[in-house]
Amino acid sequence: MTNNKKPYVKPTIIKLQSGLMNKFGVSPYYARKVRSNIDGVSIEELTKQFGSPLFVFSEKTIRNTIREAKEAFATRYPNVTFSWSYKTNYIDAINAIYHQEGSIAEVVSEMEYDKARKLGISGENIIFNGPHKSIPALKKAVQEGAKIHIDHFDEIDDLETVAAELNKEIPVAIRLNLDSGIQPQWSRFGFNLESGQALDAVRRINMGGKLRLNGLHCHIGTFILEPNAYKTQTEKMVKFAYELEDMLGISIEYFDIGGGFPSKSKLKGTYLPPDVSVPPIDNYAEKISQGLFNALKPGHFPKLYLETGRGLIDEAGYLITTVFASKRLPDGRKSYVLDAGVNLLFTATWYKFTIETDREMQGLGEPALLNGPLCMNIDILDEGSMLPPMKRGTRLILSPVGAYNVTQWMQFIEYRPAVVLINENQVEIIREKEDLSDILRRERLPKRLRLA
Amino acid sequence: MKTLLKQHFKTFFNSYSEIFFLQSPVAGVLLFLVTLTNINVGIAGVVSVVAAYLFARLIGMRQAFLSSGFFTYNALLVGLSIGYLFALEPLSLFFIVTAGIFTFMLSIMTNSIFSYYLKLPILSLPFVIVSSIAYLASYNYSNLYVTGLYPHGETIGETISLPFWLDGFFISLGAILFSPNSLAGLLFALVILFFSRILFLLAILGFYLGATISGLMEGAMISAFMQINNFNFILIAMALGGVYLVPAPKSYLIAAIAVAIATMLLDAINLFWANYGIPAFTLPFNFITLTFIYVLALVGFPLVAETVLRTPEDTLDEYISNVSRFRGNFRKLSLPFSGKWTVWQGFDGAWTHQGRWKYAYDFVITKAGKTYKNDGKFLEEYYAYQKPVFSPCRGQIISIVSNLPDNLPGIVDKTNNWGNLIIIDTTLGYFVELSHFAQNTIRVKQGQWIEVGTQLGLCGNSGYSPQPHIHVQVQATAQIGAETLPFSFHGYLENNLFISNDLPKNKTTIEPLHPNRDLEFKTTFILDQRFTYEAFQGEQLVRTVTLSVCMAAGGETYFDSGKAKLFFAKDAHSFYFYRLEGNDPWLSLLFAALPRMPLVYHQDMTWEDMPPVSAVAFGWRKHFLNLARAFYHHIGKIHYSAHWESNRIITGTLQNGGKILPVKLELDNKLGFSLVRLGERCLCKKEVL
Repeated sequence: MTNNKKPYVKPTIIKLQSGLMNKFGVSPYYARKVRSNIDGVSIEELTKQFGSPLFVFSEKTIRNTIREAKEAFATRYPNVTFSWSYKTNYIDAINAIYHQEGSIAEVVSEMEYDKARKLGISGENIIFNGPHKSIPALKKAVQEGAKIHIDHFDEIDDLETVAAELNKEIPVAIRLNLDSGIQPQWSRFGFNLESGQALDAVRRINMGGKLRLNGLHCHIGTFILEPNAYKTQTEKMVKFAYELEDMLGISIEYFDIGGGFPSKSKLKGTYLPPDVSVPPIDNYAEKISQGLFNALKPGHFPKLYLETGRGLIDEAGYLITTVFASKRLPDGRKSYVLDAGVNLLFTATWYKFTIETDREMQGLGEPALLNGPLCMNIDILDEGSMLPPMKRGTRLILSPVGAYNVTQWMQFIEYRPAVVLINENQVEIIREKEDLSDILRRERLPKRLRLA
Repeated sequence: MKTLLKQHFKTFFNSYSEIFFLQSPVAGVLLFLVTLTNINVGIAGVVSVVAAYLFARLIGMRQAFLSSGFFTYNALLVGLSIGYLFALEPLSLFFIVTAGIFTFMLSIMTNSIFSYYLKLPILSLPFVIVSSIAYLASYNYSNLYVTGLYPHGETIGETISLPFWLDGFFISLGAILFSPNSLAGLLFALVILFFSRILFLLAILGFYLGATISGLMEGAMISAFMQINNFNFILIAMALGGVYLVPAPKSYLIAAIAVAIATMLLDAINLFWANYGIPAFTLPFNFITLTFIYVLALVGFPLVAETVLRTPEDTLDEYISNVSRFRGNFRKLSLPFSGKWTVWQGFDGAWTHQGRWKYAYDFVITKAGKTYKNDGKFLEEYYAYQKPVFSPCRGQIISIVSNLPDNLPGIVDKTNNWGNLIIIDTTLGYFVELSHFAQNTIRVKQGQWIEVGTQLGLCGNSGYSPQPHIHVQVQATAQIGAETLPFSFHGYLENNLFISNDLPKNKTTIEPLHPNRDLEFKTTFILDQRFTYEAFQGEQLVRTVTLSVCMAAGGETYFDSGKAKLFFAKDAHSFYFYRLEGNDPWLSLLFAALPRMPLVYHQDMTWEDMPPVSAVAFGWRKHFLNLARAFYHHIGKIHYSAHWESNRIITGTLQNGGKILPVKLELDNKLGFSLVRLGERCLCKKEVL
């Protein structure tokens, strides 16, 4: 007993607050989370092998999530296909997993389109969305049979030019925006339904005679916490399709209802934890199938595409980062300088990540700021957490970070880190850590400016 | 006009070949020529048929009459039998004409009665009746005897001398067309051998078995073998062994038993009939064969041929391929759910699907072998609970129960066994019942007409149901708990294999499929449409093939290439070919390259099939394979497997014996196929400019 020495704990400074209770009755001490491993591979092992910071993806989580989502829909509606939203995360290995699970590709730019083709996805298995598709890009997509979703009137003109040039009728879909009863209503993309703009677009396509409308697309927003909005959306889309059939004899073969299902990430400004506030995928499937069955004629099962991105990948991604230094700010808060900042976690602006340490930490929690390595004031990953005092070299695991970060990250003054995939205790590198050659590869130094 | 005349001749000669169970005008011509060896017999036959023929026209039978020699072969036999007795002169001709017309009338009447009430063919029963009558009547026709009786025995064949066991066989065979001499018999034997090896072997089996039994019973082999009426054994063996039953060892055994029985019958009839001076004709054959066919059909003997084709070889080929290709029942249902479900209990199940209720299916959802997550104490933990249930058929809702509560897991409601339910009248003579809906979730109303795929309600746990599941059955009447009937499911996936109509086994996981409208349109062929293809062998253009869409008298549709007909049909989930009539290697190619096309585009889906020998083999190989399969159905493996390469390209393989050929098919943008390739051979659609 006597030689059981208490570990040294760094002193902390906490502002005394009187009269205020913790709303949830949870002491910051017990809210602390520890993660010693990801899918059985220890954090220590990972950082030893691949360094820090490090993006880690769990293949098991990815596959389980997409399978569960597919089953939730397939057992309720017989003709559903998932379309992997490339922009959410387009590392080849990640894309390949979704394609192996039966998803087709949803791309929003020529770059993404090329990437999908390079990976071996045929044109007919690519949905080409987005407001910016150049004529050469459109031409390529048309020749390869991609599903092109028109965003604006100018694109109709462009496609007709392509159709004339290739002497080919092009099957197309249009993107709609509509009032599904939620705020904000996304009205920037596609043609508005309620104002009659969508019908105008269809009439315009019909009159041109070069394009053939066979699909409708709509994406009501992102991180939608109200499943009922999808019911309204699908009902409206199906009704519109039947209107077109009656009015113009157009037969709509598929509906693409977009994505927007939330992940269990905590949106800043929300009150409840995501486990409580985020409905399970079954609720979305239930509402969407209800909407379809309310509006569809019996026995008519047109194809349904879902472009779910965030809901499928976010929770499979972790970022391991290391405390590089700490300092005390003038207002008394503790600031930690990490080796990863907003350069790697672009979504930190909107989401409050779960912060875990690789081992149990001693000491009381104190208000702390997590700053990144950038020499910029805005480089803040978290600013409102109670964290115990952490030594230099402490590993932090931030999650869920699977969606949008490894596509929106930027190469600013730092090298981007490695990305690894864990599959049954095997760790495979799916994107190497960058080095100077990556940065210099595209640069050209004119002869006259060479210094040596 | 020319084709009409051709048709008339075809009908006429078919009357001859029909007697030997062949439907071939060419065989008919040969047989006809042989009957002319006795000019009296030959002409008498012609007269009788022509009389029947003209009478048919008189009473306004045209098209139906032209279809085959079916209504005239009995008249032919009667004509031959009278010509055998009397020489041709005005009185005997008159006698032949009246008897011929009578036979024709009797044929039509007996056929109508037999086919409707007994589902039996008439065989040569009208001939037996009319010839017996004619022979009896002629006893009084002294005048006819004076002018018409002529000496027999001076036909050419008598000069050949053969051992008795061979002579007897040929004479019997000749006697079938009233030419009881070895030469005629030999020629008949050759005709049969040329058109059907199976029939030829059966003729031998029938004769020698029957004659040997008779010989042993009577103790006089030679006289037994020379019995002219032995042709009855030949006909019985051919009819049962290869025509009305599918050729197979079991059928031969039955034919042999029938022949053995016939020896007794023949001897009895001989004795009895002889009292009145009339021969037995084909009475034993008719009596025995009809009795056997009737009983075998009654007990549902599996080898009873559903359709009798031109030769036993054709019947056998189609039978073998159909057994593997069209497995399910004619009461076809779609699966009543969406996504992957598992069979919990099928027909003759271990628990409740027994006795009167044995034809039923139960479905649950399983993951890693379990139907629930956590420990399954709550209904919400069961994967099947509250999942939509869809209508498996078209029809009208005739009863609904929806107010029963859902049991807790493991508890059953023994009073209301069927729980919340829906009964649908399919209007096809049977009813479909679905059970165990969740309380108050049924969305349809009594009296409502529904389509396949209408959402009916949600899966629940009401009634005799320990865990949420969907129960579906087909029943004979509309009452709750009525007796169930067999049925099958069509258009589903089992481990990525497309199944067109079958019964999934217990514990298999299956997924329903829904046809693509696009593929339905591309396979909707309308009468008179024409498609022209260039046929290539390797790189070389062989000829152009034009296929026209035609309809047969029974409503079946087929592609006609001028040389052959390839029959096709469509069900809810597939377009398929099922019969090739005639010989055209390019139609065979189409059949072999695409025996069946699912109307469902699904990546990773494969489908398997077994096209018949007629689609994959030619010449001696085809004949050899058909003969070999007559003894063992599983000889010569033909296996087809294909999958979607993209939404308009099908690729696959055809295994034919030891050879494996690649298959490639491209669908046209609008209708049909633009490219059909099998190994070296290829059909390319010619663009119409």
